[in-house]
Amino acid sequence: MSETEIVRGIRDEYQFGFKNSDEAENYFFKSGRGVSHEVVEAIAEHKQEPDWMRKFRHRSLDYFLARPLPTWGGNVAEIDFDNIYYYIKPTEKQAKNWEDLPADILDTWDKLGIPEAEKKYLAGVGAQYESEVVYHKLQADLEAKGVLFLDMDTALREHEDIVKQYIGTIIPQNDNKFAALNSAVWSGGSFIYVPPGVKIELPLQAYFRINAENMGQFERTLIIVDEDAYVHYVEGCHLAGSMVRVRDGEKSIEEIEVGDEVLTHHGRFRRVRDTMQRRFEGPIFRITFAGEGYRSLAVTPRHPFLVASRELPREHNRWFVPEWKEAWELGLGDYLAVPASIDLEQDAPTVAGQEVLVGRGRHAAVAERVDVELTRDMCRVMGLYVAEGSVSANTSYLSFDSATHEEHLRELVEDVIEGAFGLETWTYAYDNREGRSVRLSSARAARFFAQTFGRTTDELRVPDWLFALDDEDRAAFVRGLYDGEGSYDALLNLHRINQTNREVAQRLRELLLSLGIRASLSRTERAAPRRPMWQLAICEADNPLFERRVLAYASTGTGPKKADVVIADGYCWMPIRSVEKIQANCKVYNLSVEEDESYVCEGVISHNCTAPIYSSDSLHSAVVEIVVKPRGRCRYTTIQNWSNNVFNLVTKRAVAYEDATMEWVDGNLGSKLTMKYPAIWLMGERAHGEVLSIAFAGKGQHQDAGGKVVHVAPKTTSVITSKSISKNGGRAGYRGLLEVAKGAVGAKSKVVCDALILDEESRSDTYPYIRVDENDVDLGHEATVSKIGEEQLFYLMSRGLSESEASAMIVSGFVEPITKELPLEYAVEMNRLIQLQMEGSVG
Amino acid sequence: MAFLEIKNLHVALEDGTEIVKGVDLEVDLNEKHAVMGPNGSGKSTLAYALMGHPSYEITEGEILLDGASIVEEAADVRAQRGLFLAFQYPHAIPGVTVTSFLRSAINAIRKAKAGGQDDPIPVKEFRTEILAAMERLKVPRELASRYLNDGFSGGEKKRVEILQMALLQPKIAILDETDSGLDIDALRIVANGVNELVSSEMGALVITHYQRILNYVTPDHVHVFVGGRIVESGGPELAHRLETDGYEAFMPPEEKAA
Repeated sequence: MSETEIVRGIRDEYQFGFKNSDEAENYFFKSGRGVSHEVVEAIAEHKQEPDWMRKFRHRSLDYFLARPLPTWGGNVAEIDFDNIYYYIKPTEKQAKNWEDLPADILDTWDKLGIPEAEKKYLAGVGAQYESEVVYHKLQADLEAKGVLFLDMDTALREHEDIVKQYIGTIIPQNDNKFAALNSAVWSGGSFIYVPPGVKIELPLQAYFRINAENMGQFERTLIIVDEDAYVHYVEGCHLAGSMVRVRDGEKSIEEIEVGDEVLTHHGRFRRVRDTMQRRFEGPIFRITFAGEGYRSLAVTPRHPFLVASRELPREHNRWFVPEWKEAWELGLGDYLAVPASIDLEQDAPTVAGQEVLVGRGRHAAVAERVDVELTRDMCRVMGLYVAEGSVSANTSYLSFDSATHEEHLRELVEDVIEGAFGLETWTYAYDNREGRSVRLSSARAARFFAQTFGRTTDELRVPDWLFALDDEDRAAFVRGLYDGEGSYDALLNLHRINQTNREVAQRLRELLLSLGIRASLSRTERAAPRRPMWQLAICEADNPLFERRVLAYASTGTGPKKADVVIADGYCWMPIRSVEKIQANCKVYNLSVEEDESYVCEGVISHNCTAPIYSSDSLHSAVVEIVVKPRGRCRYTTIQNWSNNVFNLVTKRAVAYEDATMEWVDGNLGSKLTMKYPAIWLMGERAHGEVLSIAFAGKGQHQDAGGKVVHVAPKTTSVITSKSISKNGGRAGYRGLLEVAKGAVGAKSKVVCDALILDEESRSDTYPYIRVDENDVDLGHEATVSKIGEEQLFYLMSRGLSESEASAMIVSGFVEPITKELPLEYAVEMNRLIQLQMEGSVG
Repeated sequence: MAFLEIKNLHVALEDGTEIVKGVDLEVDLNEKHAVMGPNGSGKSTLAYALMGHPSYEITEGEILLDGASIVEEAADVRAQRGLFLAFQYPHAIPGVTVTSFLRSAINAIRKAKAGGQDDPIPVKEFRTEILAAMERLKVPRELASRYLNDGFSGGEKKRVEILQMALLQPKIAILDETDSGLDIDALRIVANGVNELVSSEMGALVITHYQRILNYVTPDHVHVFVGGRIVESGGPELAHRLETDGYEAFMPPEEKAA
């Protein structure tokens, strides 16, 4: 594959992954949308799975297709199964060292104090990144103990016998529609095997995230705790994010609204599909680059940019191979990019039209259409207007200033303007200063120019339709601007254009780039009250081109061959000058953009952040199977905070044999709909099961969570504790099943479910099902529903706490019975997430 | 000018029933005022309305704290400006320990004092202060790690209220029937707390039904509160007159008839 083809491939398909080299085998693999036997086959093929797994997948898909959607719980009918990518394998390889982990995951851990904790507490760390575990670490002593902690794919390769023995035995592939789907398309997830007698006092952790839009995550977790062994497994999930060139100018990212059109890496405008903001605490990268030295990008570590890297001087003449790189990876030697030209996806306009209001004597003004033919000279005059033109305050006349000696410009203006508007111009000579102006007393002309290019210096703008003009016309426009504001410094061999309006200077630079002429833009502070001056300097190497194309004279000058900034493959590449890491605690913003998934912000192309922003609903359907053998003990802790359009439909089930203990600790925040009922089958005598769950439903969210315990053997015991909170119209519920089979003599169980409703719009449901086929049992059930009382709030506020602090305190008190069961860093995180939910800054 | 000035204060319930019918009162730093009145006279309503309870509407009049009106402010702002209310029935906040609640409350007040900038109390300092205050007010140590007012006895609740008062260092403390439900030892401890804290930095408004607490807290001023109004003000001797004559003697003729 030639380099050019690689470039094209990336530009067409970049949104599918972050490609990091031109080696063919590193190419990402992604299934098409929708699920079918072909997709399942492709997954099995791609992973080179054994035949039994291939069959397992196909059979599971049949079950999935055959089963109807559940009609209870939440509304799953909205899931568009045909619009989901079922398998994406990122190109990123598995990270082996802590340092290789993506920076924002590290930052999150940092924030929660986990890196320090790692030394003391963490036994191993696995992180799931786009369906694939990218990082695994297992401390040497654990390895020595024979503990296996692998991603499922590796486990299937290296420990096929164990996987084959257990997978699908706890949760049969036809257990429910979503378990069947997971069984058909699963990828990633974790495999843990703890050999007999081994105790892992330290929690194992894995972080999960959904990254790509429309991508379901179908991880599969299998944990086998052998006899007398103990493991505590902790899982988590996080969001990340960041900061625009819009049509006809720039707009600050926090003001961008859905539907605004932004410039993408394809050099075209696409609509903003979604905007997102969140609070960010941690390191922010400040990056400066050549070409627009006054700019500094300030972004969160994981924000990806279109980058080319050329570290070796001898590679200077190589093609630029673009790739998406995240801010934390950037350094000197990397080049940031901006589209070299803007494609308006339209034909070159031949006229510029404007509806202007024109008064009719004593009658009300009427709208009148003014069309101006875009001749080459008119383009130049338009450029001159931006530089030296003005419109009187009452918009009755149009005026072009010129120096006294610029007779040729006045002649040009007179010809063009008189030709366009059919009226005679007049020349005005200033009394008190040098110069003359050509004026036309025409409200139509004045208003046309004022509306098209602005009236005062502050309002001046260069509309984007200019980019649709052909090269010569664009060059003519630039020439007009240069006529007015340009100068040539013979000593430095430098063409300059000075502007007090930043946006005009920026558009001018873009116009030059579209002509293949590199220019750098800098900002010069001037003593107050004068405003900063924006200075555009034509790259010396491009002087001949500029002189020939724009100034339209045969250039005799020759510039240096090399320049820092390079135009190649439709991009202008600008070397990074500095990267600085600063600590920040602020709001960060990001956009998602239709089709191209990128936007030009602070003069460079950045990708939609990898933080999940979904325009359409995403599906997370995991399966977790756990076997706890006699006297073994397992605790599985999950804190999940999904994006608000994720359907989180997870099947979790464990079996516990004689004297074994299984505990599920489950915190559910975010998501559109969560249906999750961790289950425990108490198969052996005296087995003990516990389910602790917290659900927090905010606006537009439905948390249908709970637990299920089946007492099969005698003297088995269980406790289900559920706490649900609903706020801003959210709906949180408990759905539990407690079953005691015939023969489970002496079984004991206690179910406590408490709901806290924070306002009138919110809702809480409780569905406690109990089925008992044995007489000699001891069951207890308690349910409470409470509202945050005005009196409690008043009490706390009378001590100086704000209303939101007071509510957050009441809520964290409410969930305390569960948070106190969490490892410290998770408790901190849980409380922080609750605080964010209470402040309303999440989602 | 007194630190707390109440001018012609009228307070009504949400249904419009007027409970407090024009109260004028000034409480300055280093002063102890007692408002004494029978059940149903509107004493507690006065206390809640001063603290900014949303169920009580101030229909007329003014409350000035350090010269600035607080009528439009919510309870948290009033607290941040130096007002404190010791509740007759403090509410339980399950799951929130006394310690973590106190730290949040202290930090909220410190933040307000620092002009909205976070200024959390150093852990060591907090620990020293809370332990010293608990020692002084004879609050059992184990209460610090229990959930706020959750399952506390009446006496424990009141002591913790006084503990909050000591740590939050308000300018004006209103004590609403703090003496009710206390045995004699608890009453003495609470009263000592009030006596200790009233200084050039703090004034107190003790609202009570009985004269009992006034045996331990000697007020500078006593106000008799009947039918939503202060009907008579005087020195400590007024409390003794009440003891002997009862509230009957202070009731306006029409209410006596009723």
